[in-house]
Amino acid sequence: MTDPVNGAWPYLDVHQSRTHEPTPYEYKLAATLEEVFTHEGHELADVVRGLNARQVHAADGAPWTEESFRAEMNRLGA
Amino acid sequence: MTLSTSATADHIYANGLRNQWHAVVPSRFVAPGGMRKVTALGEQWLLFRRSDGTLAMLADRCPHRGAPLSLGKHLGDRVACWYHGVEVETDGTVSSVPGLPGCNLEGKKLVTSLPVREVSGAILAWFGDEEHPEPAELTLPDPLTDPEADAFLCYAEWDVPWRFAMENLLDPMHGAFLHHDSHTMFDGDTTAKFRIRETDRGYFFEKTDQRGVNFDWVELCRTGVDWVDLSIPYPPSAGPGGPFGIVGMACPVDAGRTGVFFWRYRRVQGWQRDAWRFLYKTLIEKRHWDVLEQDRVMLEAMPADADQRENLYQHDLGVVRLRRLYRTAAEAQSA
Ligand code: FES
Ligand SMILES: [Fe+2]
Repeated sequence: MTDPVNGAWPYLDVHQSRTHEPTPYEYKLAATLEEVFTHEGHELADVVRGLNARQVHAADGAPWTEESFRAEMNRLGA
Repeated sequence: MTLSTSATADHIYANGLRNQWHAVVPSRFVAPGGMRKVTALGEQWLLFRRSDGTLAMLADRCPHRGAPLSLGKHLGDRVACWYHGVEVETDGTVSSVPGLPGCNLEGKKLVTSLPVREVSGAILAWFGDEEHPEPAELTLPDPLTDPEADAFLCYAEWDVPWRFAMENLLDPMHGAFLHHDSHTMFDGDTTAKFRIRETDRGYFFEKTDQRGVNFDWVELCRTGVDWVDLSIPYPPSAGPGGPFGIVGMACPVDAGRTGVFFWRYRRVQGWQRDAWRFLYKTLIEKRHWDVLEQDRVMLEAMPADADQRENLYQHDLGVVRLRRLYRTAAEAQSA
């Protein structure tokens, strides 16, 4: 990635919103979330159920609750 | 170094309109206590940030013998030219001539300094000409001030004239063709009828027979800064929140180069906002980037005289209107 402070013309960077390369856990969660949004809908309860049904759990291995999912999205989407 | 009032209309049309605000570079390009040289409207400038974050923009030309101040040294609240050490404050006043203390340059405001503002991660500056140094009122794009919306800025530098970049935005129909193989603009009719709808801040260029399917409308807004607003549907995989919007601006760097600013925004709150932001950073930004690259590849490949030998049709009314507006403004601003 070009150094944004000293970089030469042209500045062309695919990723400008990231603070770090996503971890394997983050990639998997994101991809599954997209699948869940596509097939289960956009309601929070359906999203949580869809993730759990696919066995894609939180980093500590626990099944999602609405509360833990909100908290994790807040952490990852900040 | 100030933008002259004697420039020709052709020069202004090629290098960017004066007497308005333009986005210059993203805020993060100038670190606290840092300096950055930038080209805008065909001239050289120095962005210069104090450690408390205060930003200043000076003509990049030492008032002594013209050396670039950007090669100089950041002294906290002023810059020292590397050549003979003349010091210039953030407002362009010479504070000291170390080689000849008491020299009559001291205390004089000899360097143009442009009013600057930072907006949603971008640095905006007022590019007034000699007769208009004071900034006009700036009304910020409403999607960027709306507390119900959340935005990511994407900035890129393209080897295209600024007006080609703007014309591309006033040409929604290219979405159904150039971006047909993309995550957002695959759908909708490949034929359309368009109309222009005037507003008190610019105009809409919109399809009369399709909305919410592809890139179906665009609004040009002239609110002290020129920007466009448009909306593009997301597939269901992007989660709740409906379509995303783009606020777009183009910085005329010089006659052949443009800095493009695209804020992708979405009206989302709470967990829906967080989920969109997470997906954006992890997966979606890359897809948006692929779409933007299609624009860059096409526009950079356009011949420089593309707009001299055209055969336009009804879909190009938005472009024609834009050109007339910019050409008229360039003529009014020339001597
Ligand atoms: S040219 Fe800058 S100090 Fe002489
Ligand atoms: Fe495009």
